[in-house]
Amino acid sequence: MAKTGMERLKELKKEIYKCIHCKACRFAYSGEPSRAGIGEFTGKQGTVLYEGMIDACPAGIEYGWEAFWNAGKIWIARSILSGDLEFSDEVRDVIMPCITCGQCSAQCENKIPTVDIIESLRAACIESGVPMIEKHQLVDRLVKELNNPYGGKAEERFKWAKDAGLGKYINNKNAKVGYYVGCTASYRQVEVAVATAKIFEQLGIDFTLIEEEVCCGSPFFRVGAVDTAQELMKKNLEAFKNLDMVYFSCAGCYRTITIDYPKWMAEDEKLPFKTMHAFELVSKLITEGKIEFKPNKELKGKVVTYHDPCHTGRHFALEMEQEMIKNSKNLMFDMRKINKAIDEWFEIPRVILRKLEEDVGIKFTEMYRIKNNSMCCGAGGGVRAGYPDFSLRTASLRCDEANAIKADILTTECPFCWRNLSDANDQYNHGMQVMGVLEMISKYNLLDTSNLK
Amino acid sequence: MSYKLPDDKDLDAMIGIVGKEYATNNKAITASYLSKSVMGLESQIPDIVVRPKYIEEIRKILLYCSAEKIAVSPISAGLSGGFACPTIKPAGVMLDLGRMNRIIEVDTENRYVVVEPGVTIGELWAYMHKNYPEWAPPVPDGAPPASTVMGDAIDRGFSLYTSSVGPQGDNFMCGEIVFPNGDIVRTGSWALPFAKPFYKYGLGPDIWSFLMGSQGTLGVMTKVAVKIYPHPKFKTVVVWGMSNPEDMQNLTLEIGKQEFGIAHNTVMVQGGNYPLVMTRWPKDKVPHDYEFYEQLGISKWWMNWECWAQTQEELDYVVNRINKMAEDFKKNRAKDPDSIKPQELHPKQIASRLKKPNKIAVPYAFWEAGFLFITFYTPWNECAHFAEMYTAAMEKYGFPPVMWIASIERCRQAICMPIICFDSSKQSDLEKVQDMNRETTEYALKQGWLNYRPDPYIHAPLTYSQAGMYWKYLRMMKKTFDPNMIMHPGRLALP
Repeated sequence: MAKTGMERLKELKKEIYKCIHCKACRFAYSGEPSRAGIGEFTGKQGTVLYEGMIDACPAGIEYGWEAFWNAGKIWIARSILSGDLEFSDEVRDVIMPCITCGQCSAQCENKIPTVDIIESLRAACIESGVPMIEKHQLVDRLVKELNNPYGGKAEERFKWAKDAGLGKYINNKNAKVGYYVGCTASYRQVEVAVATAKIFEQLGIDFTLIEEEVCCGSPFFRVGAVDTAQELMKKNLEAFKNLDMVYFSCAGCYRTITIDYPKWMAEDEKLPFKTMHAFELVSKLITEGKIEFKPNKELKGKVVTYHDPCHTGRHFALEMEQEMIKNSKNLMFDMRKINKAIDEWFEIPRVILRKLEEDVGIKFTEMYRIKNNSMCCGAGGGVRAGYPDFSLRTASLRCDEANAIKADILTTECPFCWRNLSDANDQYNHGMQVMGVLEMISKYNLLDTSNLK
Repeated sequence: MSYKLPDDKDLDAMIGIVGKEYATNNKAITASYLSKSVMGLESQIPDIVVRPKYIEEIRKILLYCSAEKIAVSPISAGLSGGFACPTIKPAGVMLDLGRMNRIIEVDTENRYVVVEPGVTIGELWAYMHKNYPEWAPPVPDGAPPASTVMGDAIDRGFSLYTSSVGPQGDNFMCGEIVFPNGDIVRTGSWALPFAKPFYKYGLGPDIWSFLMGSQGTLGVMTKVAVKIYPHPKFKTVVVWGMSNPEDMQNLTLEIGKQEFGIAHNTVMVQGGNYPLVMTRWPKDKVPHDYEFYEQLGISKWWMNWECWAQTQEELDYVVNRINKMAEDFKKNRAKDPDSIKPQELHPKQIASRLKKPNKIAVPYAFWEAGFLFITFYTPWNECAHFAEMYTAAMEKYGFPPVMWIASIERCRQAICMPIICFDSSKQSDLEKVQDMNRETTEYALKQGWLNYRPDPYIHAPLTYSQAGMYWKYLRMMKKTFDPNMIMHPGRLALP
């Protein structure tokens, strides 16, 4: 029996009551007011001092009221549980414009799983009869009709594969490895899907695209439409059940299927396959010395930076932390191991970027806010659909940060981040190229697999 | 006293003053200002929240609310840690001063910085680090970076310079305050139109001191001039461990009583017992037996001396003097000499302790789900008595005996802070905390010990019940500034 939002919220009661309203969660680098940085920069969204701790909660920055910063939302959750506040349109309108980026959770000394809490609060809100906002209702209707939130036709989900000469991988019955493409790469950022599939092909991976693939449900878990999300979850689990391993190119899908599905599945159910993001695979092969990159004149000397998608970066790091805390018998000793594991996790995409620097000649330069302190692109949590202006301003803030280090190319590893950053880059004239890391590798034909056995 | 429950007409009046973007009675937004932790368990959802930006807006709000008899509670920006006086009954209007966040002036010759109430300690520290690295503001150690400079000022409590220079309230030179009668008053030398904020006692009897500890019950502070101090490169932390609070108290007093020299170099002097380490982790994820902590080299009790000096030579001298005095104390006067030993810190541990501001006081909610600081001032040479009394009480009520103690003004006073780690999601735990709070407060008052930030329902009534004449005059003076008693009613058992 799947859980309701209110049941999840009640499960999280003790975590909610750990919030002391210290508000460290509003900052990146909340414990480092003297952190060295790159100084002040005036970008398209104003002037920001990239030093020390720095406001990093997109909703708080946008709306200002206490309720929009994380701590305010945790106290709203507490008020709901204690009966001091009832669900209403007012509550919905405060808890929905949150990108659920998890910056707050990364800052919390009491390790409060804020993303879980906010998502459960939203689910409980919708369950209570408060209607979703109109734009969320629209995507909910679309996904119920077409199994994707973009209004794309089911038969066109893998058109990109056919167009790119990769049609043989559709329903490739012999393969035990799947590529879960996701809706954004299938219907919008097809470059990402093509690049990823071509890299798999170059690496000699026999993979399959499953025609019954539907939306992973990420937007619906995020905005509280849990019934919709769970229906999609059931369809995907059925469609992919015979595979041993599923690869991803979308951070959101990867996070949803790896982290969310097990939480919303019945307690005796387990994910029937292993999961891995394509960048993990590439990074692993680099570390093992199996692949290299070819030099490229066009890319040589370009300043390339990397935006950590919240869904593959911080959300996995936080999940790893929660899991390791749960299993620890002496956290005083184990915390160092946990921090090391988190740092290693964030290094995975950087292994690729450093190798690109070494082999291709790009100049890999980090932005100020990175890894667990990375600033969100503004797309997640149902915000791009529901609050597009706020979403784009947030993406532009992130582009400002890339401009501050004079980046020519802003890379990421999520088509949804790609979309939002790219739109902000165009709309606010940030003057960069936005690109997926694997897309760059594929587009410029950088992969050298001669060492691959 | 009865107050008007604000209605839509009152909200319209607030909107008329600050604009519709900055006044609301949205129930979700008002609920988000709750704060039942760290410094107090009392918090009520305000009826209206207003976010003014300018002094004139505050003046109009106070005049309106005074005329309508609507209660007003100001908060600076951080809700807990540095300023923990959220709205209590009868709720009313909360003034969120977070938009007033300018660092207005830095004067390194006269050594002050002027800030508005919304400036956080993290922001000020970062600003000084970036622009005036030779100078540092007196930020409180342990209070989260999002707590505010002004919130901490009004609490007149603890900062990183407290042992050297005195209570935090003494680090504030002059202030600007708006009273509910509509007057805007500048204190100290600032009372003269062209004077710098260089002398806090200004024009005769000092109004600033009257505002200290007022918890928002007298008016709204809109500017303060805060002292800044040299920020030398030569810093370290010296730690001595012992088995009992008496030895901790007496050794520390010997060093503090030097008054000059090393007593001034030891800017922050703070210590406690081993449960301070234990309870920063989840209850079921760390060993509880002392033997474990002993193996880690942690004494049952210890004292840290954070030393700042202008040269390495001076720093070495300070460290050597402390160590020599500790050795002499161990040899000649200690209650348990064998337990007294220096604690060697790894350079990373020293760097971590020197980092300011920090989140060191935050994770006590990790133990279960919530914590409360119940803080008292005692004469320094009574802090061991306080610690023994309070740790026994905590154990009696089933809480871990967590005790933190720091020196104020070279051991003239102690700030003693038991940290009550409990499960705030359980009503039974909340009741136990309050029962213990009442019992220990009654005992403490009999010893002549004072609360640091009296809570409204236990500390303030019990304290003022023993100081009737003082309370009478406090009330009379409040009436002068706040004729309708609208400012944070109940917070200090006023009106």
